[in-house]
Amino acid sequence: MVNIKGTEQPRIGVYICHCGHNIAGTIDVAAVAKYAEKLPGVVVSRDYKYMCSDPGQQLIQWDIKGHKLNRIVVASCSPLLHEHTFRNATEKGGINPFYFQMVNIREHNSWVHTDHAAATQKAKAQIHGAVRRVAGHRALETKRVPIHPDVLVVGAGIAGIHAALTLANAGKKVYLVEREPSIGGHMAKFDKTFPTLDCAACILTPKMSQVGNHPNITLWSYSEVVKMDGYVGNYKIAIKRKPRYVNEELCIGCQECVAHCVFKEPKFPDEFNEGLGKRRPVYIPFLQSTPQVVLIDPEVCLNFKRGAKNPDGSPVVSDKCKKTCVEACGENKAISFHQKEEIKEIQVGTVIVTTGFKTFDAKRVPYYGYGKYPNVYTALEVERLVNASGPTSGEVILRDGKKPKTIAIAHCVGSRDENTNRYCSRVCCMYSLKLAHLLKEHTDAEIYNFYIDIRTPGKGFEEFYQSVATEGVHFVRGKIADVYPEAGNTGKLIVQAEDTLLGRVRKLPVDMVVLSVGLEPQADAQDVRRMFNMSCGSEGFFLERHPKLAPVSTFTDGVFIAGACQAPKDIPDTVAQAGAAAAEAMALIDKGHVEQEPNTAFIIEEECSGCKSCIALCPYTAITFDEAKKKAVINEALCKGCGTCVASCPSGSIKQNLFEDEEIFSEIEGVLAQV
Amino acid sequence: MSTATASADNGNGVMTLENLAKFPEGQKVYSCMQCGTCAATCPYGEDSEFPPRQIITMLQAGLIEEVFKSSSLLNCVACYACMAKCPRGIRLTEVLLPLVKEQVFAHMTDVPAELQKALQNTLRYGNPMGESPRKRALWTKTSPVPVPVLAEIKRPVDVLWFVECYTSYHPRGQDNSRATAKLFHAAGVDFAILGNEEKCAGECARLLGEKGLFDTLTDYNMKLLRKYPFKRIVTGAAHAYDAFKYQFPAVGFDFELHHTTPFFAQHLDKLKPRLTKKLNYAITYHDSCCLGRHNGFYDEPRALLQAIPGVKLVEMTHTGVNSICCGGGGGGMWLDTYYAAKGYERLSERRVKEALDTGADVLAVSCPYEISRFEDALKVQGGDKRMVVRDVVELLAEALED
Ligand SMILES: Cc1cc2nc3c(=O)[nH]c(=O)nc-3n(C[C@H](O)[C@H](O)[C@H](O)COP(=O)(O)OP(=O)(O)OC[C@H]3O[C@@H](n4cnc5c(N)ncnc54)[C@H](O)[C@@H]3O)c2cc1C
Ligand code: SF4
Ligand code: SF4
Ligand code: SF4
Ligand code: SF4
Repeated sequence: MVNIKGTEQPRIGVYICHCGHNIAGTIDVAAVAKYAEKLPGVVVSRDYKYMCSDPGQQLIQWDIKGHKLNRIVVASCSPLLHEHTFRNATEKGGINPFYFQMVNIREHNSWVHTDHAAATQKAKAQIHGAVRRVAGHRALETKRVPIHPDVLVVGAGIAGIHAALTLANAGKKVYLVEREPSIGGHMAKFDKTFPTLDCAACILTPKMSQVGNHPNITLWSYSEVVKMDGYVGNYKIAIKRKPRYVNEELCIGCQECVAHCVFKEPKFPDEFNEGLGKRRPVYIPFLQSTPQVVLIDPEVCLNFKRGAKNPDGSPVVSDKCKKTCVEACGENKAISFHQKEEIKEIQVGTVIVTTGFKTFDAKRVPYYGYGKYPNVYTALEVERLVNASGPTSGEVILRDGKKPKTIAIAHCVGSRDENTNRYCSRVCCMYSLKLAHLLKEHTDAEIYNFYIDIRTPGKGFEEFYQSVATEGVHFVRGKIADVYPEAGNTGKLIVQAEDTLLGRVRKLPVDMVVLSVGLEPQADAQDVRRMFNMSCGSEGFFLERHPKLAPVSTFTDGVFIAGACQAPKDIPDTVAQAGAAAAEAMALIDKGHVEQEPNTAFIIEEECSGCKSCIALCPYTAITFDEAKKKAVINEALCKGCGTCVASCPSGSIKQNLFEDEEIFSEIEGVLAQV
Repeated sequence: MSTATASADNGNGVMTLENLAKFPEGQKVYSCMQCGTCAATCPYGEDSEFPPRQIITMLQAGLIEEVFKSSSLLNCVACYACMAKCPRGIRLTEVLLPLVKEQVFAHMTDVPAELQKALQNTLRYGNPMGESPRKRALWTKTSPVPVPVLAEIKRPVDVLWFVECYTSYHPRGQDNSRATAKLFHAAGVDFAILGNEEKCAGECARLLGEKGLFDTLTDYNMKLLRKYPFKRIVTGAAHAYDAFKYQFPAVGFDFELHHTTPFFAQHLDKLKPRLTKKLNYAITYHDSCCLGRHNGFYDEPRALLQAIPGVKLVEMTHTGVNSICCGGGGGGMWLDTYYAAKGYERLSERRVKEALDTGADVLAVSCPYEISRFEDALKVQGGDKRMVVRDVVELLAEALED
């Protein structure tokens, strides 16, 4: 066993928590306490129902005083949950909080084992290790570093918009980065929103223009974050601003250039309208676009050489067009074909990621016929079709020019399916009901919703379902298994499903099929995850720190998530999360500083040979080289205590607080000692 | 798809309907969410009292005896459509349905004569047609290239070609075999066959729930395979391919296995320069259930067809995972009379109607059952003047320089 430095002898208190039945139901806690009592250095050993309760913490404090304890071991749950609690109790008892070691006998033991005797043995071994190691702990000090008050919000859908406004209204400076030419996300494409049928534009546009005009918000649309360095409180961010070929400061949004483009008719598929409409090379995505600034698509604009690239990757200006747009712009002089990509560097203390979702690619389920039969639509396309500002001004006209008289809506497309995504996408039942209502309103067609289960578990949702059913929308309980053209060139499609309530296979001829596609992580979710040091769950959505208690935090301090990038969710839940993330960021900012775990690495200067091998390995770029001394230096504020450099140093001259060799070896000896 | 076998023994004995929950694949059955995809995609779904969804409900409700007494399961042609689309990933065709069928046949007093005959023949002669086992290799006499027989050549070979029944005896099946032999030669493959020693792999008997018969045949064929030294096994019979891939591993089969279509697709670089004869056909390809849905070979046959000069490929309404079964699987081959008596539409006819709609000249296939079924259906539909049925290997062989 390591001896306490100096003359002091270890006087250790060991506490074994029952955690109700969570631990005591599997581990014989009394036997473990009895065992620990006999370990060298242990003065008291107790088991107690809930160590994290006030009386449990009191127990530690009293014992420190009463028994003159100088080291504490608590065997209970994960340090993630309560290490802080017990360090506090240790400190309140009057000794350094790092004279404490926690043992996880719940997640690492009782929850994963069924053999009671073996689990009890394992708990003894775990505690033996901790008792040996804690004796060698040194007193450490928590460091405080100031926090930068600015916030970066990535993605300006309704989540990013709401988070940015909340922070900005509280006086924080916000950088809002959106990769599309306009903010608004998916919500900007909807006509009405369930369950209240609020007009989406009416409730979203005011927030969008607030964002555009807010003195505390720097809005960078058509931009992407390319790099994040640093640590909580002090993040360095690099942002790429893509060229619009239009100067944002000079463009007044009059759209004279659009009207005067040499292309008399819009000719190119319009992304905002899901390709259902057409636009010119110079365009503004939609009426309420924020910012109200046009952009030029170099892929199709005649003033660029088709397909050609400069050595820096930018498109080649051909100067072959008459440039009627420039003429029309006149004195504003906003158009600039030579605009180049720009990199902005900023410093922030916290980051909120709100990058949203993408819809499931319906072509992945070939038997729904999407992309094969023109009258098969995705729900998002239908959102545009029923929208007064959409490509058909809200008239539901099919790709073949007809108005539909019968419509099938297929629920769960790409969701709840082991062949695609296993999870339920949560909003599609409700939006299917909404679209059924809107389509009925617009076309008076017969509408059939083919569903497996109708999921309406939100405020006002069931009532909405009831009212849509009352309107005469049909509900068929069965998943569509096949879509194909009706024989005899009728132009109709047959949807084939079993009506499971009737126990009959139905082959329904319809004019239009609407696919209620599920919600998926963005295609670049993995890159974004890496950039912001986050994790993804098995489905690819960003992982929250705790599913119940830290739903908008991530495993990286100071990086928060909100909205559909975390999991499929509707607008009310998205906005609630966005508010929560803003509050979490504010809580950090207003505290003014962050406390840093002292588990950082340090270099024993005399022993460092100056080989520099650690420098490149540190994932947090915390190590620099002191040229004068020819030694490596670790910046404590940047070090995350990952231990990479410690393990890699060829001369063994890097150590890490709380993970010193003696501590680890004595812990191993303890664990391996005969129980 | 993974290689679960219905007869896998994980220490809980052999899987039955009673102990399903002891096997991971069996447990999955209980995750059914009653979505009806299986019934809706089943080619005979409309005509079946107990589609897979209902079977599962009956099983859970303790009423499965009623299913045993119904003839509903005779409609299942083991087309893998329900299994491929089941959103819960339940291995219906592979795991659940054979177990139920076994019981259905055990309860049945009047097994359709045609089917009974085929099964008896398979047991007695090693082929469902009741042909003489001594004539199994007779077709080789008409082969354009020599076809060595393992027992005669007494040396190790690279490829053991498992020919199977229809391709040995049926005149149109033999066309397939002759074409395959020619392609092996053209690709420079060292191959040999088992000759008269070979017996049916028995996959259709197994899918009918005739596990005893299947096991007998498996024992026999497995011993036979062990007798000869070879590197890999290639078969043009999609059902035999399935048996080897999913069932034989349980009795120690660990040879490298290929179906001829993907095998030749792998050898396309060798074959392509020799495919010099222009075939000016519009071809539509029928994805067979075993090769397509069950094993995911959708691109390989199409790549082969496209390698033939002059060929234009057109697709039917139902292709790929959504293809319509020819009706020959799972015993359907010997139930045509039974289905006709019930008044069901013949699936082969449903299929050729779609093929005719494409306007193609050739309906290409890659499972030996399909040739005769589709040729017959074309006659009934009056389309045999407009369209011919050819195996992919036949078309390739035709395009080979002479
Ligand atoms: C067809 C359909 C209908 C719906 N109808 C309703 C309804 O009626 N009512 C309701 O409550 N909910 C509805 N929903 C759900 C609603 O769309 C979501 O709740 C909401 O859009 C989530 O907002 P968000 O901001 O999290 O994500 P998004 O709306 O997806 O916004 C994310 C934003 O981030 C940007 N972004 C993404 N990646 C990056 C990056 N790397 N860098 C910078 N920016 C990035 C995107 O461009 C986008 O602007 C519907 C969903 C669908 C599919
Ligand atoms: S340069 Fe020509 S093509 Fe391009 S936006 Fe201006 S007018 Fe249109
Ligand atoms: S919300 Fe409804 S439609 Fe969407 S996946 Fe869930 S059950 Fe299916
Ligand atoms: S498709 Fe699968 S989940 Fe759906 S009813 Fe059939 S067996 Fe059950
Ligand atoms: S395998 Fe084919 S025929 Fe049999 S139940 Fe499934 S879908 Fe129907």
